[in-house]
Amino acid sequence: METAVLQVFRYDPEKDQTPYYKEYEVPVEGTLLNALLYIKDNLDPTLAFRAFCRSEVCGSCSMRVNGKTKLACKTPMKELVETWKGKPLRIDPLNHLKVIKDLVVDIDKPIEKMKTLIPWLVPDPRVVPTDPMHESIIYPEEMEAYKDQIHCMLCFSCYSACEAVEDNDRYRGPFAFSKAYRFQVDRRDIETAKEKRIRYAISGGLWSCVQCQKCLYVCPKGVKPAEDIQNLRGQAVKKGFTDKPGAKKLKHFVDWIYATGQINRLYLPEEVYGNREAREKLTKAYTEMGVEVWEVPKPTKGLMKFRDIYLEILSKEDKALDLDFSHVRKIDRMVSEIFKADICTIIDRAHEEGRSSRGLISKLKGLLGGK
Amino acid sequence: MVKVGFYQGCCFQGQDAHMFETMKEMFEKIDVEVVLLEETTCCGGNTIDEENRKLSYAINARNIALAEREGLDMLVSCNTCYMVIAKAKRALDTNKKLRDEINALLKEEGLEYRGTSRIYHLLDFFRDVVGYDRIRKAVKRPLKGWKVAAYYGCHVLYPKEIAVDNSDNPSSLQEILKALGAEVIDEYEGKDACCGYHSFFTDKSMTLKKLNRILGGVKKVGADIVATPCPLCFKSFDIYQTNMENSPKVPSSFLPEIMAYAFGIDKEKAGLAHHLIKVEKE
Ligand code: SF4
Ligand code: SF4
Ligand code: FES
Repeated sequence: METAVLQVFRYDPEKDQTPYYKEYEVPVEGTLLNALLYIKDNLDPTLAFRAFCRSEVCGSCSMRVNGKTKLACKTPMKELVETWKGKPLRIDPLNHLKVIKDLVVDIDKPIEKMKTLIPWLVPDPRVVPTDPMHESIIYPEEMEAYKDQIHCMLCFSCYSACEAVEDNDRYRGPFAFSKAYRFQVDRRDIETAKEKRIRYAISGGLWSCVQCQKCLYVCPKGVKPAEDIQNLRGQAVKKGFTDKPGAKKLKHFVDWIYATGQINRLYLPEEVYGNREAREKLTKAYTEMGVEVWEVPKPTKGLMKFRDIYLEILSKEDKALDLDFSHVRKIDRMVSEIFKADICTIIDRAHEEGRSSRGLISKLKGLLGGK
Repeated sequence: MVKVGFYQGCCFQGQDAHMFETMKEMFEKIDVEVVLLEETTCCGGNTIDEENRKLSYAINARNIALAEREGLDMLVSCNTCYMVIAKAKRALDTNKKLRDEINALLKEEGLEYRGTSRIYHLLDFFRDVVGYDRIRKAVKRPLKGWKVAAYYGCHVLYPKEIAVDNSDNPSSLQEILKALGAEVIDEYEGKDACCGYHSFFTDKSMTLKKLNRILGGVKKVGADIVATPCPLCFKSFDIYQTNMENSPKVPSSFLPEIMAYAFGIDKEKAGLAHHLIKVEKE
């Protein structure tokens, strides 16, 4: 029978000074949970881990294999052996949580964090009948908006894998934002609660998510926290919480892409952080070289049609921001002025004459710097 | 000669137009003709999704349709552009109602999303279309003695539906670096951490913590340079690193640059000469 070696994290705070790893040889059969149960039944009854349903329902068996968060009862041993090509499999408890014993972790902290986001329905009396004899109907179309989020089983896989939790202790956690979002799109939930959730989400790190997508990857239930976080950010901006850098970044994207088909990295620091200096430094240097600085690519032939598509969608859909047409007009004016002698034209000319634009670019690049 | 449509996004124009030149010359050495998909626009950078997700899908349906019009597959280098476009493609391919609705809008421009073009990222393009062997054969200046730390970035590995390699234990980047003759380092602290590029304009403190983790890890294992297939990760490493208080000054390379160098293109043309954190290694 094919076997594999599991190096399992062991730690009993009452007995052990420090954690250690213990090796067990297990059959490559069934799931990782089967292997752990095999250890418990045949090799070492002292090993502690949580598991109950064995069928991806209870959410208690998540842990890490070579650092990657996995739900033990969903992860075939065969797949692990193939992925890690015969390397030993190191089994650790979930990341970012206190260890109680071996693979068992304390989940109180993320639960408490989640509670700060009001992850329950605050009924709107105008929608939900107060008379208990009356039903509160939810139509299937309404369910569409939160049909994935309701499957969260609080397994904390996403919390373990999260890049924002890693570097921001206040960060509420991917699942917590998904739980919150689920009620944000529930018609029965009262507006004042929705407003509060957004406020609490912002103080709970809504803009700290780095959009790494690891939560989507590890979630065994198909919940997409990173996308719910984007939706919540949109709601925050729509509700007028526009002072955060992230909200200004969104505005930059919405207006510039409409206006030119591209963002503008020269103006981004200024529009988000009010950092004029970076642009002015560059502009000055360009001007000295006889080039009017510009970072916008030449408007594509189809730009006007592109704008039509953009507007058509925004006019019909729920959106975070309205296009700021005065901003767009300003961009338009800059574009038309600058295209007389912009960097793109210069580069194009250089290309046409069979020269490389690198000399020019490299001179400018040195000026870019950080900040 | 393989021909492929190249999606530039923001990373290969304006200030960074030279990166496309490097890319093109590097690809010539391995018999690939990259055709710039001229009329494409920004993919929305995974930010337009905050405004409205359908807008993001429509923009990218249009981008893909432009490749389809040329009868070409689409090659994307930026990890984020790749993820955003590949996610849009999945949505369009699995949701006919969405596709029809967006196609009705694209019609005005004479475009149609049909789902016929494949979306490649550099990594799977090198592995599946070019082949490691062809890369190995094109090497004129093996990166002998270069200790190169491999850094993938997130959006080619997660989420699973769009991953170009095994998300838990990927190998394509190491294979490419090996083919260049480099000594590959793929175990270091922070190798799986996010590069922090996207949080620079949402929560800057995150960016700096991430860079500290990754570049600190690279330095600790004694690598000469960190190489990444993503131009954004590269910029985070080369440009944002200069914002760090105690910058470890770790040199970095956008993968096509060291490939170009290994293929015999000089440092200047390969782009390696223009980094803020000097690449000293010869
Ligand atoms: S995308 Fe955001 S919430 Fe999800 S794991 Fe990454 S940082 Fe955490
Ligand atoms: S969102 Fe998914 S990964 Fe996160 S706790 Fe819920 S079920 Fe687990
Ligand atoms: S044992 Fe219940 S989810 Fe794994």
